[in-house]
This record gives sequence, structure tokens and C-alpha cells, in this order.
Amino acid sequence: MDFIRKYKAILLIVIPVIILVIFRATGTDHFSTDAQKLAEPSFSRSNIIIPGKVSQLSGEKLIINLGKDVIKHNFEGATVKDISPDSILAKEYIGMIKKHEGPVFLYSSDNSISVRLWMLLSQMGIKNLYVVSENPDPESLKYEFRPDTTVRPES
Amino acid sequence: MNTREKLSIVLLILGVILALLPLTGSRSLSVRPDRLLLEALDEKSWFTVDQVARFVATEDTSVQLIDLRPAEEFSRLNIPGSVNIPYDRFIDIAPGTILGGSNMKNILYSNGDIDANNAFVIARGLKIKNVYVMKGGLNEWFNTVMNSRFTGDRISARENALFENRRRAGNMFTEINSLPDSLKKKYFESKHLSAKKLDGGCE
Repeated sequence: MDFIRKYKAILLIVIPVIILVIFRATGTDHFSTDAQKLAEPSFSRSNIIIPGKVSQLSGEKLIINLGKDVIKHNFEGATVKDISPDSILAKEYIGMIKKHEGPVFLYSSDNSISVRLWMLLSQMGIKNLYVVSENPDPESLKYEFRPDTTVRPES
Repeated sequence: MNTREKLSIVLLILGVILALLPLTGSRSLSVRPDRLLLEALDEKSWFTVDQVARFVATEDTSVQLIDLRPAEEFSRLNIPGSVNIPYDRFIDIAPGTILGGSNMKNILYSNGDIDANNAFVIARGLKIKNVYVMKGGLNEWFNTVMNSRFTGDRISARENALFENRRRAGNMFTEINSLPDSLKKKYFESKHLSAKKLDGGCE
């Protein structure tokens, strides 16, 4: 009690600060630090996986179907959960994803949505997360450009 | 309490805070996740290639196209008016580079949909509000704009405007990307000069 009385002024400032720091460090309603590091799988596109390769990853698989359509692939042994994109941050779903021990796959007929959600969830610190893409090389240019050699700028 | 005790307490408290909050020089997204989710799912965050073609054809100055591909791909070909921010350097470069007021539209594109949509979330998470994505990327640009062909018997006024738009944007794309690098700069200068002459402005 003497200690508290003696250091009352300091404790009144320090204890709330420590509580806020603990809250900030352990809270789930914000993004983790180091966006560059968390985005790294997307630079090499190691987070993109074709349906045929899903079964090759080890661990209990969780497929999150973000669309309204039924998944046309047969992901053997995987748990499939239908979650609409706007509900993905609901406590029950985000908790399920965070607690899941194996790989989690985001599946949508529109890659744009699953990619955006991948980045959002990864920035929250969720690891072992993949985007299922029908295209094995979605960022390669499929067309050849033929230059017109007669073009000259006006003088 | 003597000075040594006070200093010990202060250092202990600092140690606890630093242990819980790793301080690095790296950036983190500062928008709330639920807010960012809304932005990520907002359909207005995408532009179609036809919309971008119109911006290109009219040389809309309220639009800045940002090519996220590696520098060597960008130098080989790009959509006229684009600047290059390679995706793997986006987090470092974008906050200091993407400027403009709220009426400026920064439209991201890559070859497909992956890098542009990743960069979009990062940008909006870093509170860069005026970024959008060209849906389908350069692959869709080639498919829809460059390879545009009308095959019907009759064309409506709306279709005619659409094809005319694609033709103009496609011609610009071909012209600028057919030039060697040394002539590309001269091309833009001569285009701006021609536009001024049409307006009756001074040279």
C-alpha cells in the first residue's frame, strides 16, 4: 500500500498505457505490422494454387466458397464452407479461419474477390492461406503485340 | 524514491512496452479491417477496359494509369499515359508517389487480375483513397480493345460509339508502343502540339 501511495502519480499514467498496449498487441480488429512481409507470398504468387494441386498440400484443408455457385471441383477430404464475402470478418468465421490448423483456400469464380480477401486476411496475420485459381499463370500476358513500323511522330 | 529507483521504474516500463509492441520502420495498414472489406467489395472500385479506353482516347487528365508490372515489361509495352510502379515495390513507393486530389483517379493494372487487386487492398489500407483497378488487366485490354471486331449486320449508335472508342484507344496504343523509346517522348509532345493547334491556342 505504501508502494502504491508512493508511486500513485506514475502508476496512474503507466497502468492505463500498459493496458492499452496489451489490448493493441492482442486485439484482432486491426492489421498486423509489416505489410511488406505479410504480402510476400503475393510477390512470388506462391499463394495462388490451381484446383488440381490443392490435394497435394498437407494438413486438414478448409475451402471457403465465396460465391453463390456450387464448387465444380471435387476437393477430396476437404471441408467446404460457404461464406459470403461481406461476412468473412464475422466473429464466427474469422475465428474458424484463425483456429484452423491446416491450409485455408479462398474459392470464387471471380479471382478479383478472392485475391482482395486474401490480402485483407493476410494483413491481419492469417497464414497458410491460398487463392484457388483455374489459371495456373494468371499474370502472364496471353497476347502478342505486333508493332506498326510505319508510325512516326508528327514533326 | 531516489533517482536510481525512478530511472529503474521508467526503464522497466519502457521495456514492457517495447516487448509488446515491436517497433519497426515498416508500414502496416491503418484502416480498420471491416472498413477495408467494404471498400474491397465495392463494385465502383473497378473500371472496365472500355471505360479506361475512353479515358485514354480522350486523354482524360483526371486519370492516372499505374502499371504494376516489372520495369522491363512496362518498357516493352504499356497503355499510353501509364506510369510504372512494380508491384513488389508498391508498398514502399506508392504512398509517396500516388498523389492527386479526390477528383484524380489512379487506375491500377497488371497483365491479369492478381497483382492489381492485391495492390488495391494495400493502397486503400494505407489510406490512399483514389485508387481503382482495371478489370481483367492487359489481357482483357487486348481481348476487348485491341482485338475488337464488329461482326453483325447492323450497328446501333451505342455500339458504334463503343467501337469507335476502342478503335481510337487501340490506335493510340499501337502508335505509342511501336515507337522506339527515343521517339516516344517526341510523340507525346507532337500530340499535345496538334491539340493546341486545333484549339487555336498559342504554341
